Amino acid sequence: MNKGFMQEYFRRNGQFMGWGLLIAVGFWVIVLIILPQISMLDFSFRNHLPPPEMGGPKDVYTLKNYQYLIFGAENNPEAYNRVDLMVFVRTLIAATCVTILDLVLCYPIAYYLGQSKGGGFLRILVLLLIIPYWINEILRAFAFRIIFGDSGVINEFLLLFGIIDTPFDFIRENVALYAGLGYAYILLMIFPIYNVIESLDRNQIEAARDMGASWTMIHRRVVIPYAKPGISSGCTMVFMLSAGALAAPQILGGPSSLWFTQLIYQWFNSGGNWPQGSAYAVVLLVVCIIIVLTVMRLFKVNMGDIGK
Amino acid sequence: MSAGVGVDLQNMWIKFGDFVAVREANVNIKGGEFFSFLGPSGCGKTTILRAVSGFLDPSDGKILIGGNDMAGKGPNERPTALIFQNLALFPLMKIWENITFSMEVKGAGKAERQKRADELLEMIALPGQGDKLPSELSGGQKQRVAIARALCAQPDVLLLDEPLSALDLKLRQHMRTELRAIQKQVGITFIYITHDQGEALTMSDSVAVMKAGVIDQIAGGKAIYDDPSTAFVASFVGENNVFRGKVKSISKGYAVIDTNRTGALRARMATAVKDTLKPGDDAMMFIRPEALNISDKKARSDTRIKAVVQHSEFEGQAYNVFLKGSEDKEMKMSLANRGETRLYDAGLPLILDYDADRAVALPAGELASE
Amino acid sequence: MKTESTLIRVGLAIYLLMFFTYLLGPLILMGITAFNSASFPQVTPWEVLTFEWFHVLFNDKRILNGLKNSFIVGFFTVILSVAIGLAGALMLTQIWPRIRATYYTIIIAPILIPGVVLGISTLVFWDRINVMLGFSDDSFLHNGIFLTVLGHSTFISSYCMLVFVARLQRYDVGLTEAALDLGATHVQAFRKIQLPFLMPAVGSAAVLAFLASFENYNTTTFTFQKYPTLTIELAQKVRYGINPSISALAFIIVCLTVFFALVHEVRTRRAQLAIANGAPVGAVKGGFEMPKFFAGNPAAAVLALFIAGAVATIAISQVYDPEPAKAILLKEKRAEQKKRIEALQERLRAKRLQKQFKGPDIFGSGQSKVPQPPSKTPFGNVFDPGNLGGTDPNAKPKDAKTPESPGKGTFGDVFNPGSLETTTGTGDDKQ
Repeated sequence: MNKGFMQEYFRRNGQFMGWGLLIAVGFWVIVLIILPQISMLDFSFRNHLPPPEMGGPKDVYTLKNYQYLIFGAENNPEAYNRVDLMVFVRTLIAATCVTILDLVLCYPIAYYLGQSKGGGFLRILVLLLIIPYWINEILRAFAFRIIFGDSGVINEFLLLFGIIDTPFDFIRENVALYAGLGYAYILLMIFPIYNVIESLDRNQIEAARDMGASWTMIHRRVVIPYAKPGISSGCTMVFMLSAGALAAPQILGGPSSLWFTQLIYQWFNSGGNWPQGSAYAVVLLVVCIIIVLTVMRLFKVNMGDIGK
Repeated sequence: MSAGVGVDLQNMWIKFGDFVAVREANVNIKGGEFFSFLGPSGCGKTTILRAVSGFLDPSDGKILIGGNDMAGKGPNERPTALIFQNLALFPLMKIWENITFSMEVKGAGKAERQKRADELLEMIALPGQGDKLPSELSGGQKQRVAIARALCAQPDVLLLDEPLSALDLKLRQHMRTELRAIQKQVGITFIYITHDQGEALTMSDSVAVMKAGVIDQIAGGKAIYDDPSTAFVASFVGENNVFRGKVKSISKGYAVIDTNRTGALRARMATAVKDTLKPGDDAMMFIRPEALNISDKKARSDTRIKAVVQHSEFEGQAYNVFLKGSEDKEMKMSLANRGETRLYDAGLPLILDYDADRAVALPAGELASE
Repeated sequence: MKTESTLIRVGLAIYLLMFFTYLLGPLILMGITAFNSASFPQVTPWEVLTFEWFHVLFNDKRILNGLKNSFIVGFFTVILSVAIGLAGALMLTQIWPRIRATYYTIIIAPILIPGVVLGISTLVFWDRINVMLGFSDDSFLHNGIFLTVLGHSTFISSYCMLVFVARLQRYDVGLTEAALDLGATHVQAFRKIQLPFLMPAVGSAAVLAFLASFENYNTTTFTFQKYPTLTIELAQKVRYGINPSISALAFIIVCLTVFFALVHEVRTRRAQLAIANGAPVGAVKGGFEMPKFFAGNPAAAVLALFIAGAVATIAISQVYDPEPAKAILLKEKRAEQKKRIEALQERLRAKRLQKQFKGPDIFGSGQSKVPQPPSKTPFGNVFDPGNLGGTDPNAKPKDAKTPESPGKGTFGDVFNPGSLETTTGTGDDKQ
């Protein structure tokens, strides 16, 4: 069967095109996707050595880097590496919050866009939705810094009306961070949901309404079950991207609350300890994948729904 | 060239995994012939066409075109041109570019191609339309462009995959004549795929009738209609009244069949089963509606059928009378329109008869889906 | 029932309003800050309309260099990702069914893998290859452009693949077969038939790839080495010090985005209208017909307004050249006010001094003391976050540039939000 497939493949594509396709896809899948991940995994099990000692007797596999994340440095007085673990957990919780925030924010508009009959107004709305997405990630975060800064618009506004008398530190309280992260991934939440809801037959909703179902009932029993693939696709993307975000936490994060990606960044850039950074990156990747797969299993959606 | 290039399928099997799409096909198509594969959808006729044009390889057996084995040759290396069911005109190319695509890929110059396109557009009666896009043409015009495009490649064999199925009835009938005329004009071999027996019978020199991957009969149109070789062919091509039963006796090429509901009836044995049908075999007898007549009472008793009119209708060229025989056996009789009205009231009892030469006795077999 | 539906309608309107305020508000505010002369990007204490931040932006060597690198990286990423994405999509349409799901999971994964992980794995992998091949540290495998392009292509190819898959679903494989049947080679059939059909998708994939590459930070930050892209430069500036030249850049990007989005919208709308009216596609490519063009095409009207606005803004910015002087005038007025107060104080002090020393240098000592009085402006302290440690580094360049307005520098400091980086940041920008 396999041999037959290859034969059929070359018959359909010809030798030149067939090999061209195979090479391009092979390069992508193997050289760009799989090998670097394996390489990073491999690296995370190695000692941090200066270049001359690489490949030397000290270059052996070790669990040290992972132990560090869990237990901290050897002379750590506490039982666990509380600081880093807390950062990790906080990152995951915050990413979950951002995901929920985006879902709540985007579901109504996705529903509205999906069930409207089109027309110029709708097209303009879609255009307005897309525009912020093409603005640089850094600049979007920067915009929120302008708004939430000590002398930002909101503080000035609140001061002006006497609601507060000293500027509220939105950045320290992470309000700016959540707002900025939520903002960054709005589109990734809207479009998968919109795509699914658009294909929902309006008559189903009409029928449900005829039978006297309330709006909440219609959504709970008709729309949401139907839109589930879109919702989970959107949530998956928003969760993964916000857990893996780096720019927004660097710009909008308060001084006391680090994002886990910032720890990775520190290991690589200021720390210069690549194996340690790789170990952290592996942990982030693996845990995120596990969470996403669990949620997908829970809601009974499959991988094919992602990216539609 | 004018003699044409023949196509031979020798013991050809085509399998997809465990599914047998074509079983042991042996076909000899003569050069310059208009040959049709006729069968219901899913019978494997398109698969044969794709194998001939080179889009898939037979699992076993050989395809010869002009005596040359085609094994291992791709569609672009075979002297065939295929007209697709949906025509597959290139939507982004102008008509003249579509027509001369086969020259373009061989590196012909623009002037040469345009000249050839003009000639072909003249031939398909679309002069001056070369600069349009396919989307600007009507269905029939697209059809003709597809034919011109295929002919431009100067194939030895033209393969047509139900090209008329998307057209409306009038146009379809017109295109039949036109296709036949084009085939006569260019003199190359046409292999035509269809599920429409009217198309197959009107255009073809020979017809192969297929059922579930098996070719039941290969013959000229008249033979297919009047002398089918299996029950399937008899029931698939045209309308037929079927009588089931057992062979009672055989003599001089005729069989008397003891039918289950209508008694003993006589019929000519089909040529293909002359030597194999034996008394006692399960058999079927087929009588075409137009072979039935209202009895003049002189007919032999074994070609007479008693029936009661259910209803009758006027179809134009004929009157159709629907009847019920004994034990509710349903029958249809077509009476040619010769000027007088021949509508009968429901409940009228009639005695029908037929010419035993126009009834066919065949071994019992699977019928086309009723 | 009726009250319920109006309630829903009002609720919807409010919701839409709030949603789009959240979506567009930040961008609009950021754009506005580009025109405020305050040295920290801010809207509320509005000072004076200025275009100087655009000048600062266009003279910023690091931004320009980053822009250049971004274009180089974007160019190669587009080529690589579009090619790979196309191959990946074509492969998806014909891959052996049993491994199809696995294959799809692998090629969609880069979208979900965090950008930092992609950056790290790319860096680590090629470093390893470099060591294995025994190349030196400055080989091309360590080149920032090379690594960044590969890192970007890893996930941008997935985006491109999705674009192509969507388009390929509408492709009739029969067309390729027809071409082959007519004697074309596989390459010819691809180039002459399938590729032209995919061309719109190639266009969108290329745009998508370029934009994604252009704005990427997470991956780039691990791979850029000696070639910082624009995003990296921006991040450095935003993290370590801000001035409104970044707002100016954002403003330009927003305007370009809106412009191209509108152009695109107008064109698709026009094609749709033409097709709806029964015109053949070929005819749509024809010339402009102004009156019809606007009919039923709100985007066209908006586009026209937008262009008019842009032209007007540019024109104003040209004519506005004397305007900084106006700003200075305004400031001088305030400065005069201040001077009057100071003169008053001076007189008082002079009186005291005269009582003590009877010294002659009234004006000299007066002017040297001006920059340091504790309450410089009438509303200075209100907005002072109380964190004005380093005032001078910020004030100096301004004073050097506009020596005749001593008030300006101090003004800027007053509204300094107190983020510590600002002092070094503004200094940086002037280099």
